Amino acid sequence: MILHVVQYSAVQDNALATCLRYIQPQDTLLLIGDGINALLLRKWQEALHHTKVCLLEQDVEARGLQARLGHYQQLSQAEFVQYSLTHAKVITW
Amino acid sequence: MKKITIIFRHAPHGSAKGREGLDFALLSASFEQEVSLIFADEGVLNLIPQQAPETIGAKDFLAAFKALPLYDIESVYACQQSLADFQLDESALAIPLDVKTPKEIGELLTQADEVFVY
Amino acid sequence: MSKLIIQVNQAGYGQGSSYQALQFTQAAIDAGHEVLKVFFYQDGVLSTNHLQSPASDEFALYQAWRELGQTHKVPLVNCVSAALRRGVLSAAESAENQLQHWNLEPPFQMGGLGELVTGIEQADRVICF
Repeated sequence: MILHVVQYSAVQDNALATCLRYIQPQDTLLLIGDGINALLLRKWQEALHHTKVCLLEQDVEARGLQARLGHYQQLSQAEFVQYSLTHAKVITW
Repeated sequence: MKKITIIFRHAPHGSAKGREGLDFALLSASFEQEVSLIFADEGVLNLIPQQAPETIGAKDFLAAFKALPLYDIESVYACQQSLADFQLDESALAIPLDVKTPKEIGELLTQADEVFVY
Repeated sequence: MSKLIIQVNQAGYGQGSSYQALQFTQAAIDAGHEVLKVFFYQDGVLSTNHLQSPASDEFALYQAWRELGQTHKVPLVNCVSAALRRGVLSAAESAENQLQHWNLEPPFQMGGLGELVTGIEQADRVICF
């Protein structure tokens, strides 16, 4: 069980696409920074439909996206730390 | 000793990622870690033979990929889908390696202790 | 409680990940975990330039890293090769290269990639930003 972290915009960087190519069903995807913007695009909403996705809460708030992305699971910084340890490893793409 | 897997997902020369990722790989191996490398996405362009990075003021770090066996790095893989995307022929790559499907690469990532992406 | 290594790979100003790494490190310490070291590699070494001078109304990331390092005794280690290539030098490297100036000050320190690798060996988890 891996925690995959994507911090780059899916429009600018292929990190999210590459991550999704190798992610396993039991893994978790955490979007942070501009990575969260992907969920505003229908293409990525659909691509991530069967993936366990969570977002870093402070990045959602910072970007004024709480109303649009509030239905996704959000992690506090402390929960991010917990997740990094409850998963077997962290891969930052 | 840890199982350290290093993924190269960026093309060479456009950034220092490949060069610094390779430095990390060689150093890890010389510190007796079990190192494996995976070339994925645009990172497969590191595998094109006969590159001349000096012509654009870049260091020829690719030559060091040929020295991987000297560092006991024998687990070297490339993503089959990425090679196909960039229309690279498996038999004409700069270094010997094993081609893996995306599913197989996903399993390799599961087996590693730590994975670093460059 | 777990032992962590934090690796910072991007510059401070204009890129978010050095700040993300700082926040994560602080949260890990607050939760009682031991951060063995913060290792700056690739463009991350630019986060350690002492001469960064943000305007007074902007978040001072360099100072925040320095305070975190001093307060919690967390080693803040640069990859020396990555730093030299990018013009981040301590007084010692400056003298070795016959230069008049330097821009790395304690608590930031220079180290080799070997320190990252030995840290990875000791740590329960590595988190890269």
